[in-house]
Amino acid sequence: MIEVQHLSKRFEARVEGRRAQVVAIDDISFVAHDGRVTALLGPNGAGKTTTMRVVAGLVHADRGTARVGGVDVATDPHAVRAQLGMLSDARGLYGRLTARENVRYYADLRRVPGDECEQRLAMLSDLLDMKGLLDRRIEGFSTGERMKVALARALIHDPQHLILDEPTNGLDVVSTRALRRLLLHLRGAGKCIVVSTHIMQEVEQLADEIVIVAHGRTIARGTAAAICGEAGTATLEDAFVALAYAEPAR
Amino acid sequence: MTTAWVVFRKELKDALRDRRTWMIVLVSSILAGPIALLLLSTFIASVEENVARREVYMVGAGAAPTLVNFIQRAGGTVKEAPAGFREQVASGELQNAVVIVPADFEARLARGESIRLDVVFDDTSTRSQGPSRATLTLLRAFSRELGSQRLMARGVSLQVLAPVEVEEINLAASKSRGAQLLFLVPWLALLGAVVGAISVAIDVTAGERERGSLEPLLMNPVSTPAIVLGKWAVVASCSAAVVVLTLLGFRTAMMFIRNESLSALMQFGAAESGLFLAMLLPFAAMVAAVNMFAATYGRSHKEAQTYASYLTMLVNFAPVIPLFLSVRDATWQLFVPAMAQQGVMMRALRGEAIGAVDILLPGVIALAITALALGAQARLLQHERIVFSR
Repeated sequence: MIEVQHLSKRFEARVEGRRAQVVAIDDISFVAHDGRVTALLGPNGAGKTTTMRVVAGLVHADRGTARVGGVDVATDPHAVRAQLGMLSDARGLYGRLTARENVRYYADLRRVPGDECEQRLAMLSDLLDMKGLLDRRIEGFSTGERMKVALARALIHDPQHLILDEPTNGLDVVSTRALRRLLLHLRGAGKCIVVSTHIMQEVEQLADEIVIVAHGRTIARGTAAAICGEAGTATLEDAFVALAYAEPAR
Repeated sequence: MTTAWVVFRKELKDALRDRRTWMIVLVSSILAGPIALLLLSTFIASVEENVARREVYMVGAGAAPTLVNFIQRAGGTVKEAPAGFREQVASGELQNAVVIVPADFEARLARGESIRLDVVFDDTSTRSQGPSRATLTLLRAFSRELGSQRLMARGVSLQVLAPVEVEEINLAASKSRGAQLLFLVPWLALLGAVVGAISVAIDVTAGERERGSLEPLLMNPVSTPAIVLGKWAVVASCSAAVVVLTLLGFRTAMMFIRNESLSALMQFGAAESGLFLAMLLPFAAMVAAVNMFAATYGRSHKEAQTYASYLTMLVNFAPVIPLFLSVRDATWQLFVPAMAQQGVMMRALRGEAIGAVDILLPGVIALAITALALGAQARLLQHERIVFSR
């Protein structure tokens, strides 16, 4: 389970040549349960990526708490990372290494024994349909192929929690389907999955629970039906536009 | 298997598959050393040749048989200057000085008048300094001889003319004189350490940021010091490998270049190789760490290369500074990285004794800087602006 309560984070940045405080997230709260897919839905720049980085312990929140499997990120980021798999926005693979070597590197860093790693990799490459890719260098890979390798790498230690930042960015239909298949498989295995996205279709097909984020705040949360009811609209898309693009109430 | 070891193996594999790594290793170590020595040896040979020949070029030598006779007595030969000698001297094609003899040379000589001789030379190039100086020395000796003859004819003692008698006793052994040119040898080895480190250092730091692989890497439950240590070990190994290859290049070249004067000038046996290694390995460790630290600030290869080039400039320049100072090999120079290594290695080449302090002090300083730079980089990798800004 991932619990996020009243997170806020400001960055120092240069705005028109002057140093200024930029609010990345203002007040974000949600709970992602085990055995469910929770979608963070929001326009670009809403604070989805920053929220995920706070949860992973890569960014320290100014206020609020984030707990993964009951462990507070602020007190023990190592323990949080140990039970977390993350697919970041930048896939960050090493071009001169093969897919297998990329995955093995992370398995070694996480002290996953060699035979266990090979078993999991065989299973993941089955699910993701990437058998032919394993011993080729990343250099010539397509966006979809890179995503698959990065996902296999994020899952190699069999984490209880999985965070995916815009996983379908630049993917074709076949790769998107492979991803969806894997996520449903993981959900069935009782994993806690958080997906950030701005694509409505994806949310409707995958998410059990939706958290709408805009201007760094949680605007609404619940099932698709509950959110539509709250916004008084027929479709999730209408509800999203009505809620996310409304003027921030401040 | 510790984290640092895992990182080391991965980065080493990655670096060895990079064509740039091999290009640098090839160019800097295998080619640079032998080529430098070859140039050095031809340079020394041509300088010696010129000085040995003591050729004096003249315009109108026929008008001054007395002078020609004097030069021949001094062991020199007189040659008629080629047409267009001014251009040839200026361009460096003719390295000797050219003496312009006036037509009335002998007549003025007979009358006991003073004679004006114009000497055309260009001493910007080191190669022409020797021959030019030899010609001027000969002319002064001729003038002195004439003067003393005229005074003796008037019954004046020679001691009046030369109240101070200067006898040149040059203590610089021929070995030592050549070692000034050998500046290049340790200097190239120092540069080898830098060049060997740069490309890999940038790839494991700024390259990691550019690819976006730093964020997922730090998502693993591993300590940043361990990651930094593993990466550094690879960069330092590459740097050290280029150093070793450069030294091997020197030794191989020494075997093939059968130039007696070069091998007489330069001590580069097993002992010197060992000393060079002792000086250069801690230096390579330092260069690797400092380069990585600087390159971490780069968001891309290109940006990191800019930072790294400042460092390269410092390493290029520091060893040159003592050349402009009047006191050579002062103690304080042992405290300045690059300058210290250069100084000690030069002394070894000159065949001077090297003490324990000469090896230990620069080494300890280099390792201390290494530790500082690695610590600073481990802290840097926890900065949000380094991890995320791309």
